[in-house]
Amino acid sequence: MIRGTVIGEVWVTKKAPSLDGRKLKLVAVRGASGAAASGRVVVAMDTLDAPMGQAVMVTFGSGARNVLRPGASENRDLLCDCAISQVIDGES
Amino acid sequence: MILGRVVGEVWATRKHPKLVGYKLLVIRPHWWYEPSHHVGHLVAIDAHVDAGVGDDVVICMGEPPRWQSEGPAMPVEAAVMAVVDRCEVDESAFEGPRPLKLWRDGPRGLIVGRIRTEGAEVTSQAEPERSEP
Repeated sequence: MIRGTVIGEVWVTKKAPSLDGRKLKLVAVRGASGAAASGRVVVAMDTLDAPMGQAVMVTFGSGARNVLRPGASENRDLLCDCAISQVIDGES
Repeated sequence: MILGRVVGEVWATRKHPKLVGYKLLVIRPHWWYEPSHHVGHLVAIDAHVDAGVGDDVVICMGEPPRWQSEGPAMPVEAAVMAVVDRCEVDESAFEGPRPLKLWRDGPRGLIVGRIRTEGAEVTSQAEPERSEP
């Protein structure tokens, strides 16, 4: 998992069934120092309705499917490798 | 997932039986992509959206694309999951010590503006600094 900041949104019409009713957000990945952006951006599925500029935690890989639907045997059909799993309230 | 543009198509007669009936597209990523081989492109299977050359698409990578069809284990590691209509980015992403870089003009329908934190509303629109490919 990594920390990032929501910097944008992507709108799609033609999409895979696993995307139905879910939003795609652009998340700028944070660099080594923690606060500054690393210049890298990923597209993450958003179930938590994170607003622009919000600090979030992003889960990658097959773990991202557990964000959408928990249970390894029931979520195999979901096409998703990156999802916002947490909206960060505070960090030290 | 990452954003990329479809720049070509690959077809084959002799192929793995699980790949029969699926389109393979050559994708040029717009933003972050760190492959094991630095080739600047990737090939993704298109099982859902019927994308064509020139479309901007969202690519899902890694293990999830293997499970798209009935039963397990398609021999793939990248899949097209959506065709992009419009894309909105806060202009703060193009500022700072590590600004966001675009490939060509970035995705089609890209809107760059100052977006308020509460509610995602574009208050102004400005062209971003384009980086040469």
